[in-house]
Amino acid sequence: MLKKKWQKFFISVISITFLFGLPSAFAEDKINIGSLNDMTGATSDVGKDYALGISEAIHYVNDMGGINGKKIKLYQFDYGYRIPEALTKYKLFTRLGCKAILGWGTGDTEALSPTITRDKIPYISASYSGHLTNPDKTPYNIFSGTDYSSNARATLTAWFDTKWKNHPDFGKRKPKLICSYMTSHPYCSAPIKAIKDQAKILGFEVGNDQDVSLFAIDTKSQILAMKKFKPDVVWHGNTTMSVAATLKDAYAMKLGATHLINVWGYDKNLIKLAGKAADGAMGATVCAFVGEDVPLMDKVVEYAKKYNPSIPIEDRLIRTVQAWGNVMVLWEAMKRADKAGDLSGESIRQNGFETMANFDVGLGIAPVTYSASDHRPGKIVTVYEINDGKFNLIDKVNLGQRWADKWNSWLGW
Amino acid sequence: MSTTFLPCGIYHQEYAKEHAWWQTPFIKGKMILLLIVLFFIIPFFADSYELSLCNQIGYTILGAIGVQLLIGFCGQITLGHAAFLAVGAYTSTLLILEFPWPAFMIDWGLAYPASIIIAAFMAGIWSVIFGLPSARVKGFYLILTTMAAQFIIVDFIITQYVSQIGGRGQAFSIPPETIKIGPVAIDSDLKVYFMILFFVIICVVVLANLIRSKVGRAWIAIRDNDISADVMGINVIKYKLMAFFVAGCIGGIAGSCWISNIAAISPEHFPWSWSLWLVGVVLIGGVGSIHGTIFGSIFMVLVMEGLQLLVIPLVDIYPKLLMDFLFIKEAAFGLAICIFMIFEPYGLSYRWWQLKNYFNLWPFSY
Repeated sequence: MLKKKWQKFFISVISITFLFGLPSAFAEDKINIGSLNDMTGATSDVGKDYALGISEAIHYVNDMGGINGKKIKLYQFDYGYRIPEALTKYKLFTRLGCKAILGWGTGDTEALSPTITRDKIPYISASYSGHLTNPDKTPYNIFSGTDYSSNARATLTAWFDTKWKNHPDFGKRKPKLICSYMTSHPYCSAPIKAIKDQAKILGFEVGNDQDVSLFAIDTKSQILAMKKFKPDVVWHGNTTMSVAATLKDAYAMKLGATHLINVWGYDKNLIKLAGKAADGAMGATVCAFVGEDVPLMDKVVEYAKKYNPSIPIEDRLIRTVQAWGNVMVLWEAMKRADKAGDLSGESIRQNGFETMANFDVGLGIAPVTYSASDHRPGKIVTVYEINDGKFNLIDKVNLGQRWADKWNSWLGW
Repeated sequence: MSTTFLPCGIYHQEYAKEHAWWQTPFIKGKMILLLIVLFFIIPFFADSYELSLCNQIGYTILGAIGVQLLIGFCGQITLGHAAFLAVGAYTSTLLILEFPWPAFMIDWGLAYPASIIIAAFMAGIWSVIFGLPSARVKGFYLILTTMAAQFIIVDFIITQYVSQIGGRGQAFSIPPETIKIGPVAIDSDLKVYFMILFFVIICVVVLANLIRSKVGRAWIAIRDNDISADVMGINVIKYKLMAFFVAGCIGGIAGSCWISNIAAISPEHFPWSWSLWLVGVVLIGGVGSIHGTIFGSIFMVLVMEGLQLLVIPLVDIYPKLLMDFLFIKEAAFGLAICIFMIFEPYGLSYRWWQLKNYFNLWPFSY
């Protein structure tokens, strides 16, 4: 009796699945795109908002007519920042015939890089690792924001220009930098070589790195170690949760340094979590914050309200805008490739991305340029500072102009 | 007496025959068919996604078989096996990338095979080190000491020191065509499939042979009652450590094989949850059964992926379903363990045994 009941249950479930699934099998021609997101793993504190942004942006693209009339079908998976899972999901995307993939972290993006190069599938990642910007090595890796290494260099430079020059010790001693990040994590450690190089250029003294886990809730031992070095600036390479924990401990233990924070640790949640401890913290952002008065932001807000009304717009993070930025550049590249008559991965790259010169994405993103020899989207990095719980733009560092002789050699750092 | 099928009732008259693997021509036929499927049908009909699933199954088998040896055959509960996989993977990667091999080793594609052997040995040694407490503690206390392997090896040694070698500071990039066996570069899912299949067969054969030898009987005696085993003259500590060594070696091989599937390695590849996952594989497959390990691995990989494929047609109607799938997957993993513990405590291998018996006696089965 019980067995029959179970049989009936399973047959019903499978029937319903296929009944509802059937229309999609006969649906109009759609262009498949895959998206790997982290909603449950190590970087989920910033990944959830990004994932929502991807899905909302794709809705917008479809409402705007898709790729020259062809709609996009999005296959979006949460892989929990588990790299083996990412590899299988990638294979599934290829099986589903995805034309491009909107990826997530540095770990999986770097691990998949040779495979996507072989398969010629554009991979637009949320990882802005500088290692992915050299087309000779990673021709199919693209992203819309300035890379981590440029961001780190620019933030340090902005602090040097705006803060150190007014410091009483300026000219008397070298400024001191220390880096606080999860040493084993590819995202956290990606710009370390660059920021240390920049520190050397600007004449910094660099202390020993402090290993802070992405899951850290107590960083007092690291702060104690930092206090011995007495840094003027601390570079935080982690995501928001652990950066907030570090800032709070630094504030409580009176470290007295300015905090410079990487892209994925610098958002509204930092202010909420760290409170006063976040005051004065500087960071590079790759786009505008949600609600800022920039082109296309009205659509970001409209679609966030429409598709995820349960999340108040004031709780949405810059991650949503970053996701939109990546979708917008992919959309433009696919439209260009389609117009050229070939929507293959190679064409999306060559006829799409690599034809973009000063393309204005909107969303507060600096105009992007990709070429066959350089996939860094831009040379200008915007640097913000938190004052009284608000983000204020303090500097725009044009790395390409200021270090014109070095800019090309920094490719792929 | 039939030579094709075993007669009903009396089965064997000699010990050797009882322990023979392929006892009748019918079983030989089945196994040959299985080999044909594994070596000819799957590789040439499966697409890249299906092959990657097969590779994941193979990797899971290699990881879980060591856990099976410790838990299922020697009674030593372990929750730190991912650390030994990490030792294997990092040893192999370091040897390939950093070790100054003589030119002929690289030219003849011997560096990677040699690194697998060394990695297996290294992982075995590390496993023995963390198996040492088993001489004094068992049960929950042993679980805690094996968990220490994860924190000490992966979170401390590999993260803080090994990952820094070569100045990369984060992940060891393995350039394409670095991993070669002889003249063949392991650069496709198909080649990885054959390599993992080879090692799965080797490890299963070695372990199955060990289990039916004096060593295996000693392990089983320790599992069933270590005090009795001691009284019978079995050197309990020696055999326990031997079990840790063999399990570690197989884990090392698994780690070495894994690097051929990826282009960069970082400590994130070996989270503690993977050790737990491997124990889940053993529990679902059947404790104390080698083929249970294989069934458990197939079940854990294919059922989870199957569930996912089932929800894909619903994407148009419920776009968030795919995103929420990982939650379902995690819940399904926990639920599967609970269901198996309650309704099928001997795992899938017991179900397989029942199925075989049904057909052995068919049409007069009861």
